[in-house]
Amino acid sequence: MLSTVPLNVGRRRVFGSVFSPASLEAPAKSKSTPKHENDHTPTTSFHSSTGSTSTFKADSLPNSFATVGGSTDSPDEETLEQARLVASEFLSVPNLGFQLLYDYRNTDGSEVLKQWNRLSPPSKETAEALDCLVRNCPWTLFDGYGCDIRRHFLVNLRDGLSELLGSSEKEGLLRTIVDCLQLARRVYLAPVVHYLLPLIPTPHQAGFLAQLQRAFHTVVSYSLPWRQISPLLANELTRDAVTILGIDTVDGDSNMEKMSVDEMEVDRAYSVSYKDWRQETTEARAHMMVEGEDHRVTVARDRLLAFLNGLQLVGLGAEKAQKVFAKVMNVMMSDFISAAYTGQWDAPTSAPQHLRQWIENVFARLAVQVLAIIHSEQSGTQTGALDVSFGDVEKWQDMGIARLGALRVSELFDVVVEWPASSGAVEDLRHFTTHTTSRTHVTQSFINMLQQRLLHPGASTVEILQVYISIIRAFHLLDPKGVLLDRIARPIRRYLRDRDDTVKVIVGGLLADSTTTNAGDTLSELSTELTKVHQHSMRSNKGELDFDDLNWVPDPVDAAPDYRKSKSADVIDSLVSLFDSKETFVKEMQTLLADRLIQNRKNYDQEITVLELLKVRFGDSALQACEVMLRDISDSRRLNISVQKQSHSKPRSAATANRHVQPESTELHAKILSRFFWPEIQEQEFKVPHEIAKLQESYATGFEALKASRKLNWRNGLGQVTVELELENHSFVGEVTTWQATVIYAFNSDTDTDTDPNEPVTKTVTELSDTLSMTPALVRSACLFWVSKRILIEPHRDTFRVLEILPSEDAAQTSAGGGITGPEGAEDEDDDGANAAAAAEAAAAAAAKESAEAAAMEKMNLHWQFIVGMLTNQGPMPLQNIVMMLKIVVPGGFPFSNEELREFLGGMVSRGKLEVVSGGSYKIVH
Amino acid sequence: MDYSMEDTQNSAPDALEASKLSTTAQRSDTQSVTKRLQAELMQLMLSPSPGISAFPDADGNLLSWTATIIGPTETPYEGLTLKLSFAFPNNYPYSPPTVLFKTPIYHPNFDFSGRICLDILKDKWSAVYNVQSVLLSLQSLLGEPNNASPLNAQAAELWDSDQEEFKRHVLARHRDLDEE
Repeated sequence: MLSTVPLNVGRRRVFGSVFSPASLEAPAKSKSTPKHENDHTPTTSFHSSTGSTSTFKADSLPNSFATVGGSTDSPDEETLEQARLVASEFLSVPNLGFQLLYDYRNTDGSEVLKQWNRLSPPSKETAEALDCLVRNCPWTLFDGYGCDIRRHFLVNLRDGLSELLGSSEKEGLLRTIVDCLQLARRVYLAPVVHYLLPLIPTPHQAGFLAQLQRAFHTVVSYSLPWRQISPLLANELTRDAVTILGIDTVDGDSNMEKMSVDEMEVDRAYSVSYKDWRQETTEARAHMMVEGEDHRVTVARDRLLAFLNGLQLVGLGAEKAQKVFAKVMNVMMSDFISAAYTGQWDAPTSAPQHLRQWIENVFARLAVQVLAIIHSEQSGTQTGALDVSFGDVEKWQDMGIARLGALRVSELFDVVVEWPASSGAVEDLRHFTTHTTSRTHVTQSFINMLQQRLLHPGASTVEILQVYISIIRAFHLLDPKGVLLDRIARPIRRYLRDRDDTVKVIVGGLLADSTTTNAGDTLSELSTELTKVHQHSMRSNKGELDFDDLNWVPDPVDAAPDYRKSKSADVIDSLVSLFDSKETFVKEMQTLLADRLIQNRKNYDQEITVLELLKVRFGDSALQACEVMLRDISDSRRLNISVQKQSHSKPRSAATANRHVQPESTELHAKILSRFFWPEIQEQEFKVPHEIAKLQESYATGFEALKASRKLNWRNGLGQVTVELELENHSFVGEVTTWQATVIYAFNSDTDTDTDPNEPVTKTVTELSDTLSMTPALVRSACLFWVSKRILIEPHRDTFRVLEILPSEDAAQTSAGGGITGPEGAEDEDDDGANAAAAAEAAAAAAAKESAEAAAMEKMNLHWQFIVGMLTNQGPMPLQNIVMMLKIVVPGGFPFSNEELREFLGGMVSRGKLEVVSGGSYKIVH
Repeated sequence: MDYSMEDTQNSAPDALEASKLSTTAQRSDTQSVTKRLQAELMQLMLSPSPGISAFPDADGNLLSWTATIIGPTETPYEGLTLKLSFAFPNNYPYSPPTVLFKTPIYHPNFDFSGRICLDILKDKWSAVYNVQSVLLSLQSLLGEPNNASPLNAQAAELWDSDQEEFKRHVLARHRDLDEE
């Protein structure tokens, strides 16, 4: 019964606040003019000559009329005073403490009312007095009682309440307070409601009650500082809202499971979970959040609404509570979005749709219900209108979509990494990137993320390129015009240009075998991409100058000044255009192609395909060198056959190996490279065995007979040799490098001349290095290789001997294994073998390092020329200036660090080419 | 009606356009000069000729270089280090660079302030010449002066009459530039 009052009051109260109470009173007395006077001097405006109500009643009207003239008769005054005394005594609240309220806060209140003596009906006399007062001057009566309420509240309840508020136990504290206050309210208003109001004409009842309520509310809000109440209220709202909005069910799996074990099982139809929702059909989706509310949710909702009712009744509702509620709902929306949609990237996405539905059916529903209770006083002006309009709901939906967008932006990096499994997230983002500002936000935050997570030394170039490819695809979906991609790509491209191995990785990826997915360190994806039909390559890309383009549209407003529209998400084009010219790219292509072509293989279809595809993109001229390289290989295959026929009459056509060496019947196959078109190939120089040299000579003669004006120049360091070794009790057949073969051949040739053929051949590294004119490191590396194959052993450091007879256990093993035929054969469980293999690897690495160092030196030599030129002409210079000048004048920049240069210059100083003069400047020595 | 006004209005954008064009043209010009000089430097570094070298000055715009010629053997200048300055015009290589001897030199074709009388640096200049060819010409000029058009008449006379005296003059005039 009580709970229905506030709604009415709320609406009526408006009248009370808008029109002064006096004007309500006036029509009741069918008077208007004297009312003002009465208002200002209430004690003298009403006249009552007798204490008896009946006479008073009878006389009241005439008396009132008599006062029109302004006469103020005194006898009535006395009576009124009397009545007022009686009334206030009746209404006065016993000074009982707060403790009583606290103890009874959970009861229905009747006990308290009894204790406080609030239900006993007034005596006859009192009733008369009240009646008299109400008829004559009700305002004074209520005003007085209002004062009483305030006074009583401040004296008796305030301290208790603030003590309660200060208590450390915050859980449910506000509920307790509201319960107490509700009791207090009933205590104050019960007699009024029961005995006073019936005396007043119905239309005015609400006005008076509202006046008292207002008095109560004022004193409550005065005693309870809002600063302390609002966080409590926020907590209270959050607790229930989390349940009602379903955030607790979507948040975290553990919670979910627990719920489903308990009671969710019973009613699975109701769920706000995006996952569940996705699985349903379209019709089921529409009902999902509307019908079949969970029991748990209903309980929470009832509890929250009841609590808010109480809150509103005791005057803690209204605008201030609305503000808190708004804040809580704000947080709730973000929470829900992050709980429901984080990591849900499946395509096709329906997250925005789901979110809109959730906001409309769950979020807005709660908002409407709550706002209906804690309405502000003014809201009643449009009676019957909802506090929440459909426009508001739409606004909330837009906010929700924006937040979903923000969530996706924060996830964007992971989304891109997961691409293409995460295209749903990008679709979500498309709803968000409709404004210029949000687009800027997307790019800004994504660039920051990239800097943090991708563009650092820890990420390998392959990874970066992989992500870049994903970015190109993802952003092409997000923004087909490419403005966003253009902005995002800039820092990545700048970074990639700085990486030395970018070209290598790209070219390696292009040449990779797309059929075998051994990915990891190669971008085999690129070769797949390359083989796709490339529809734009045929259309010449004239850019802005294509005046016949009927589909031309201006650049988007937020495009960068040098924005260039790319018509498609062509990954290859984007990667290749990383570099200013195609030259860098083609050069790397050559190097890699050279490596692959020199290898001994049956065919080179893969390379030919890739080259043809690239020619479509780059044009024939750019790839001319590569073209020549491929032709060299196929030409030399044919040449090889005819040379073989001519010189030796050995028509075997296994024409791929560079040279094929066997002691007795040695076959030599050559690949003829046009030096001018091949990149510089690093190799170690050494003398080949005599037999081979003879073969080379005759081959060269044969070649020159075929191609008159050309001359052969042998590259001994490149190529493969098939070696067959026969030893006492084991043998070896395998393909090795030329220098390894040469070294083992040196061990062989001596047996012919040696006096004692039974004594195993022993040689030192220095000997070999001298006779073969090979670097000691390379010799050692080759010997260790043979040690690992159990052909040689190293009795002393740098001395090697042929292992003619394998130790018995090894022999058993190897004969069981059918001879040592490959690296895996040598590396049986034998420790020696394993050690030797490791040593061989280390030696090979050392040799490789040596040649790499030589290459670095070669590179530095060019710079040395620059330095000499600089110091000769410009005089002595300190290191810093040298570096600076080199950076300016050397095309392609100076790739070494200050320290490397210092070391290099130091080497030159010790060689006597430079000297250090005063101030640390370097000076050339003539 | 004021037609002149109309005229200027019509012509103004054209003028603006023209000025714009000229600035861009100039910029691309400087770029191409830089590119050319860089290529020349690279060539000098990759295939150095004995006795000559050149390098850009430290101001970083590549338009001024310093070059060094070592006096060729069997000439009066044997073993001397001669420094020159190159100043390249903006339209290089369509105009010759301005070349001056920095080292004081006594020579029939060079005057005392280091100016050079050499046809390929004047009217016979062609865009196929470059720093290297200029330096090589100067180097050969040291051994075989062109006495037909001397800048230093006394030196020309002396070259023909008294080589010993000539060499003495050369050494007296020569001063190694302090290497700053």
